[in-house]
Amino acid sequence: MPVHESDVCVIGGGITAAMLIERLAELQPGLRITVIEAGRSIFDRENRGTYHRRALEYGEHPWHDDYIEDQQAKGMISMTMAVGGQALHWGGACNRFSEEDLRLKSMYGLSDDWPLEWNELERCYVEAERRLNVAGDPSPYPEDRRSGPYPQQAMPLSYNLQVLKKWAEQSGLKFSPLPLSRNIDKPFGGRGACGLYDTCGDVCPTGARYSPDYTYQQLIAAKKVTLHDRMLVRKLVLAEGKDTIASAQGYHQDRPNEITEYRARMFVLASGQCWSPHVLLLSASSRFPNGLANRSGMVGRYMNGHKFISAQATIDEQTFPGQNMTHSLISREHFRCATDRPFVRHDTRVWESSAGKEPRLRGADGRLLLGDELLDEWRSRARKGSSVRLRAYYDSHPSAESRLTLDPAAKNRYGDPMPKIDRQLDAASQAREGATLAHVTELFERMARAGNGRLVSKPSNSTYWDHPAGGCRMGTDPSTSVCDSFGRTHDHENLFVIGAPTLPTGGVTNGTLTFVAVSLRSANRIAEVS
Amino acid sequence: MKRRRAIQTLASAAAALPLLRVPLQADELTADQAFVLRDVAATVLPSAIGRRGQDEAVDNFLRWIRDYQEGVPLSHGYGEPRLVKSGPSPTPGYATQLAALQAAAKAKGGRFGALPIADRRALLDEAFKAADVRNLSGRPDGKHVVADLMSHYFRSSGANDLCYNARIGRNTYRAIRVTTVRPQPLGR
Repeated sequence: MPVHESDVCVIGGGITAAMLIERLAELQPGLRITVIEAGRSIFDRENRGTYHRRALEYGEHPWHDDYIEDQQAKGMISMTMAVGGQALHWGGACNRFSEEDLRLKSMYGLSDDWPLEWNELERCYVEAERRLNVAGDPSPYPEDRRSGPYPQQAMPLSYNLQVLKKWAEQSGLKFSPLPLSRNIDKPFGGRGACGLYDTCGDVCPTGARYSPDYTYQQLIAAKKVTLHDRMLVRKLVLAEGKDTIASAQGYHQDRPNEITEYRARMFVLASGQCWSPHVLLLSASSRFPNGLANRSGMVGRYMNGHKFISAQATIDEQTFPGQNMTHSLISREHFRCATDRPFVRHDTRVWESSAGKEPRLRGADGRLLLGDELLDEWRSRARKGSSVRLRAYYDSHPSAESRLTLDPAAKNRYGDPMPKIDRQLDAASQAREGATLAHVTELFERMARAGNGRLVSKPSNSTYWDHPAGGCRMGTDPSTSVCDSFGRTHDHENLFVIGAPTLPTGGVTNGTLTFVAVSLRSANRIAEVS
Repeated sequence: MKRRRAIQTLASAAAALPLLRVPLQADELTADQAFVLRDVAATVLPSAIGRRGQDEAVDNFLRWIRDYQEGVPLSHGYGEPRLVKSGPSPTPGYATQLAALQAAAKAKGGRFGALPIADRRALLDEAFKAADVRNLSGRPDGKHVVADLMSHYFRSSGANDLCYNARIGRNTYRAIRVTTVRPQPLGR
C-alpha cells in the first residue's frame, strides 16, 4: 500500500483550499502540505480561447472531464469536481455579508449567531479581497465600513449599467457596481487583464476572473504543495485508541483496488458543503458510529445557502444588450432590518438583459418572417425600451432537518452511498415566505414604476438554494455544532473543516468571499498549531 | 434532357466553387448542397449585410457544421445540473432537407431563389412545420438546416450589432472603456 506523509493533508482542491494553502505556506515556510483532489487537473490555459468559442457556438462545457459520473449528489448545484472546483467557472462575485448575518439570534431572535466577531471577519475579508484582487467601490451605506480599501477600483460600469443605475436609484435605493474578483486593467497573480469576453461564468480566456488553477500551478511550481489529483478520499481513519485522525484513505481513478494512505499531523477537509460532511459520515467506525466529528449528530445538518426571487422588468430607457451581461449592480439597502419591523433581509441585484428582445421566426400573427422582415420585426421590439433582470437573494434560515444524508439508492463504483441533500427552511423562515415574496415584489414594482416601467413577469421563488453552505456548522457548544470558529472539529483536535460547510447560515448575497475569509482565518490557526 | 441537366449541374458547381471558402470534407455538405444553401441565404438573411455578408454567414455556418463534434458534454448548467452530450452530426439530415427543398422548388418551377417570395415562404413554412421548428433556437439544434442557418446568423454578435445599429461586440474581445459609453453606430 503506497503511503504518503506530510505535515498538513488538505482534502479537496477548490478555492478555499487554494487560499488556505497559499496562506499556510507563507506563515510556515517549509511545511509539507499535500492536497488531494478527487477530480483531475485542467491546467491548459492556452486552450481557453478555443473553449470560450466552442461554449458559445456549440454550448459545449468548457471544462472537459471536470466531473466524475458516479460521484454525484442529489441536490448539488454543480457537477464540477476538479482541481479548482466550482471556482473554475464562477462569476467572480465578491460581496461581503453584513454584521447582521453573524447576529441573527441576538438581534432578531432568529436562527443562530456565529461564534465570531464581525471585526475579525472584516479583517479576513480585507485579506481575502487582496488575494483575490477584488475590484470594488466602497459601499454608499455607512454601516458597510471597511478597515482597508479594495485592491482595485470597481469594474467601470458599462453604458447599460449606468442607465440602469440611474433608473434603479429613482426607487430610493443606492446601488454600487458588484465587487468582482477580476483583473480590470492589468495582470495580477499570473492572470491576464479583462478582455470583456463576458463569459466569466463559463470560461475566462484571459484568466482575468480569479480561478484557483492558477494558484495551484504557482504553488506546485514553488514546491509549496504536492498535488495528488484524481484521488478520491473515501475515509478518514482514527489513530489507534485516540480521537485524532491518523490517515486518509485515497483511491486513484486508475487504480480503484489500491488504497493510498495519507498520513499527516493535521488534516483539513476542504471539500465544500457536500463532500466534506459526506466523507465524515462515510468514516463511521465503532467508536464514532454516526461518522467522524459527529458526536453531536450535527454533521450534515443545517444545510443552508439562500433562496432567491427573480423578475424581469421593461423600462423606457434604451440600452444595448451584450455590453457586459455578467456584471451587475447591487444594493445593500435591505441587508439591514430594523428590529421593530417584520424581518426581511435580502440583496437587490440588477443586470442588463435581452429577455423578450431576441430575434423571432414568426410575427405576432404567426407568419413566417424571412430576411429583412425578421430583422425589422426584431428591431421594432429591441429598440423600444429595455429589459432588466432583477433578483433578490433573501435570508433563508435552515432547520436542523435541512440535511445531507447518505442515499442507499445511489452508490459510486466502490459501493459508497452518495449524498442526498434536502434543504428545509426553519419554521420562522417558512412562516415569512409569503411576506418576503410580497416585500420583494413590492420593491421590484416600485423600482419599475419609478422609471415608468413595469414587471413583465410575476416575481417567483427559486427552485433551488444558491451559494450553498453548511453541513459542518461552527459553534461554541460541541453539542450543537461540529467545529469551532476556526473550523477545528470538537471531536478531533487534528481535524479542521474549512469554508462553506462551517457557515451556520448562508447570508443574503454570494458566499464565496465569506468562504475564503473564514478559511484564511482557519489557516492562521492551523499555522499556529501545526 | 440529359445534356441540359449536365449543363445545369456544371453551372451550379461552377457558381458554387468561387464562393466555397470553407474546405468541406466527405461527410459534410457537398458543393451542390452548399450552393443551394447560399441560394436560400439570400432570402432568409437580411439584405443589409449584402451578398458578401450573406456568403460569409453561410461560410461561418459551413464551418460550424465542419467543426461540430458528436458526444461532447454540453454545459452542465447550474442549480439543477445534468449531463447532456451533443447529438449525432446534423449533416445527413441537412443534406436530406436541402435535397427536399431543392426538389420542392423545382416542382414549383425552378431554383428556390428564383421563385416568387410567397412560394419561398410557403416552402420554408411547410419544411419548418414538418421539422417542428417553432422559433429560432439559441444556437443551431439540427432540426432544419435553413432554420439553423438563420439561428447561426441571427444569434450572432454581428446580427446583434445590426439589430441595434451599434458596435456592441457581444462576447468578443473589447477594451472595458469602449463599453462605458453609448455604443457607436455601425459604419462609423
